[in-house]
Amino acid sequence: MSHANEAFRLTAAPPPVPRVPRFPLRRRIFSIAGWTTTALALILLTAAMLGILEMVFVRGIGALVPATFTTITQGTGGGLLNAIEGTFVLSFGALLLAVPFGMAAGIYISEYRNGWWAKTIRLLADVLVGVPSIVVGYVGYVTMVDWLGWNFSVAAGAISLAVMSLPYICRTTEMALQQVPGDLREAAFALGAGESQVIFRICLPAALRAILTGILLALAVSVGETAPLLYTAGWSNYLWDGKMTHSPVGYLTYAIWTFISEPFASAHQLAYAAAFLVMALVLLVHLAARLVFDRHRR
Amino acid sequence: MRQTRREGVLPKVKRSGWTTRRWQGLIVAVCCATILQAGAARAATTPVRVLETGSTLLYPLFNIWVPDYMKTHPGVQITTQGTGSGTGIAQASSGIAQIGASDAYMSSAQLKRSPGILNIPLAISSQMVNYNLPGFNHKHLKLSGPVIAGIYSGKIRYWDDAALKSMNPDMKLPHKAIIPVHRSDGSGDTFIFTQFLAFSTPSWANGTGYGTSVSWPPVEGEIGGVGNPGMISALKGSPYSLAYVGISYKKAIEADGLGEAMLQNRDGHFVLANAKTVGAAVLATAAKTPKDERISLIFAPGAESYPIINYEYAIVNKKQPSPEMAKALRELLAWSIHPDGGSAQKYMDAVGFVPLPAPIRSLSAEQIALIK
Amino acid sequence: MKFKTGLAAIAGVLPASLVAIVLFLTVYSWPAIRFNGFHFLVSNHWNLGNLYADPVTVAGTQVAPGAHYGILFLIVGTLLTTLVALLIALPVGVGAAIFLAEAVPGRLRLWLSFLVELLAAVPSVVFGLWGYVVVIPFLGQHLFPFLSRIFGFVPFFAGPSGSGYGLLTSGFVLSLMIVPLIVATLRDAMVSQPPAIREAVTALGATRFEVVAKVILPSLFRVLVGATILAVGRALGETMAVLMVSGNALNYLPHNIYAPISTMAAFIVSQLDSAMQDPTGMAVRSLAEIALMLSLLSLLINFLARLVLAIENRSARHATIV
Repeated sequence: MSHANEAFRLTAAPPPVPRVPRFPLRRRIFSIAGWTTTALALILLTAAMLGILEMVFVRGIGALVPATFTTITQGTGGGLLNAIEGTFVLSFGALLLAVPFGMAAGIYISEYRNGWWAKTIRLLADVLVGVPSIVVGYVGYVTMVDWLGWNFSVAAGAISLAVMSLPYICRTTEMALQQVPGDLREAAFALGAGESQVIFRICLPAALRAILTGILLALAVSVGETAPLLYTAGWSNYLWDGKMTHSPVGYLTYAIWTFISEPFASAHQLAYAAAFLVMALVLLVHLAARLVFDRHRR
Repeated sequence: MRQTRREGVLPKVKRSGWTTRRWQGLIVAVCCATILQAGAARAATTPVRVLETGSTLLYPLFNIWVPDYMKTHPGVQITTQGTGSGTGIAQASSGIAQIGASDAYMSSAQLKRSPGILNIPLAISSQMVNYNLPGFNHKHLKLSGPVIAGIYSGKIRYWDDAALKSMNPDMKLPHKAIIPVHRSDGSGDTFIFTQFLAFSTPSWANGTGYGTSVSWPPVEGEIGGVGNPGMISALKGSPYSLAYVGISYKKAIEADGLGEAMLQNRDGHFVLANAKTVGAAVLATAAKTPKDERISLIFAPGAESYPIINYEYAIVNKKQPSPEMAKALRELLAWSIHPDGGSAQKYMDAVGFVPLPAPIRSLSAEQIALIK
Repeated sequence: MKFKTGLAAIAGVLPASLVAIVLFLTVYSWPAIRFNGFHFLVSNHWNLGNLYADPVTVAGTQVAPGAHYGILFLIVGTLLTTLVALLIALPVGVGAAIFLAEAVPGRLRLWLSFLVELLAAVPSVVFGLWGYVVVIPFLGQHLFPFLSRIFGFVPFFAGPSGSGYGLLTSGFVLSLMIVPLIVATLRDAMVSQPPAIREAVTALGATRFEVVAKVILPSLFRVLVGATILAVGRALGETMAVLMVSGNALNYLPHNIYAPISTMAAFIVSQLDSAMQDPTGMAVRSLAEIALMLSLLSLLINFLARLVLAIENRSARHATIV
């Protein structure tokens, strides 16, 4: 970052600024056209995001009342306490499962990056990203909910979510470790450190913030998932009873997906309140990630 | 361990090392604490817990029933899920859910696979055929099964087709292509709509047939919408479109200024869906209803009968795991069909349903008594 | 060495979960694979059959009468939406990344990047909702008729512009979902380019844009391909949003870029409920076969992308550039 900033300053204001344009017209046009199109691209994306935020927040803010946070869903009305709790339980449950395995995979493919096993893991991680969430959900339904007889449950939901977030955690861990300068590793080895020491004492601490960013982003992804949960976590109007299996649990995205389809205005309010909460949560998580990463860069 | 990249900032190794562990510990501790504490807080009493899942048409009704029912029955916890009729049947059969909601009765082949499953009608729903035909939305266009079948199979392409004009001689229909809209998710709405087309139009019966998802013939410009709201927004967003929408969405249709067609019934009369025409159709088929109540009400005879109506079923296993569960289910279902309980006018009006007539109600009550 | 083995084993959970899913799908859909044969991939006819009649026996297997499972239109639809999404996301993503990295000053850059990356975290359902509340009315009634008039001479752009539900809309919504991956990766890589190159090329008399377009961007080819692979993966598997805006064509191929379309992932969701009503179970198993094919497709695309990288690597080594 610091290098880049220097570079930026250098190119932005080269010391002796010539006031007369010295480039031929054709190249100037190419330049101007280039900057214009790239600016337009950025404007398009920003506008789309602002449009989505506007839709969700304008409709959602009116739907939010204190009861949303204090009461459970009652039919087409009530609050979303059950869904808020469920979203937290499922997402953190998924993280607890996915972080150790995802990070292990990420560490492995970063530190032993040229072996066949590392290449295989990297390839399969990229393929796993492409497995549609509904498929993960349905496989979870047939295996865990039906065959194992767990019924709709936190366990089935969290495991399905964990499988979805594994590749993201793995790949961000890998990228974070790749940013750690090789000199560090070489120095540590030269001092007689073993592989595990180098990884756990040197590389991971150095890459920690970037990894944490990745984990937070994976958290944001699982907060926003619907399809893998419909058939595994089910949905419940009640607060979670603490059982891992045999009791369904609510979550916010279900409220969006289902209540928006109901014929009642009160249900739509719940749906938009849920959309607002999901977006707000995702935004907060992203902000947190950004802050973590920022401090890392300084 | 070969490393090639060398850019980046030199971290302060030792201090970060401490932070690592502190961070790790903190995250793990917070997660564990959240989960354990949230769980432990309420592992106290266990009421009877009923899971209802299935039809998204019946789901709104269950959603307004449940809060009121629980006020007088504190011993049960009822969770409702809107997933789809097929899911409702499958999960009630496998025991994952106690009540499967379905817009269609189970087929004989399905019953053979899961004997002991009851199909209990709880209420009667109907379906509108709606359109967005600028200038004509406040009038009620007249349509018949064969004409709609012609539109959905691509044989009738324009609003000023001769078949449509002869049915609506007083309207100057525009020469615009018709955009047929259908549900792309599996749906009871599709089931009753295609059944209407199949029962009224032999060529549709032999071709596309009926089901919760059918192989729609490809038609230029057609749209597949998701859920009733998807259908309504497709209608609203596309002038000259035609769609079928559950009666529960009548208010939304009116609010959006969309048209509702009069449909030709078996006796040749054009009727709109209301309590009278729907009631007439139920009574016309009531005498023929078998003890297991698996019967289609589509395209019923009678001068006043509305042609697209159906029973909304609760799919329930006769044999429940515990007597408490069986009792809870019997009470809930009995309440739901009772005129002073779930079938009271205020509930029915909210979703546009019609309560079961007395003879059918007693058939349902007999089936409910079988739950043990 | 023991540490490495242990780590390798724990790391194995990730590939194991994919293998488990694929294995499960294979076993589960095996009766369907045998029943459908090769026809599955090349036939354009999907029909669950009459689920209310008694099952019939076809080739020794019980199925619903009239049942036929062919998914060519889904394969084409999936590939086309992904392609359209990429064709939009790549230039837009590269453009936005360039502008972010080169022209936006520090603080603002942070916030704009944040906004763009937030696109990746918008729940699919919210995207779908936004798609049909905001995007479709605009595209269907204003942009598409305009495009069809102006670009009517381009084969795929001609013809009726439809209602807004369709290939181009799905591609557009999908592109927004995958573009943050491209922007974030590329921007980070551009920012961390060694300044020496920049200085050298500037000294040789290049404009700032020329530095970016002709020197920096080409050197990031590998990074771009890497980000694109992940983006393609996400696009292939995206479900809810596509389901809500694609128009869900059944059994036919799109004749132009505005026409309705279906993708494999969205189709599985939309058919699952009805398939569960099939007493023979063949419908659900055929859906599992679609999921299996989708996983294989994803694998194939990943292989191809890696092949591209390998070839590029070799030619790069020949052309002795830095």
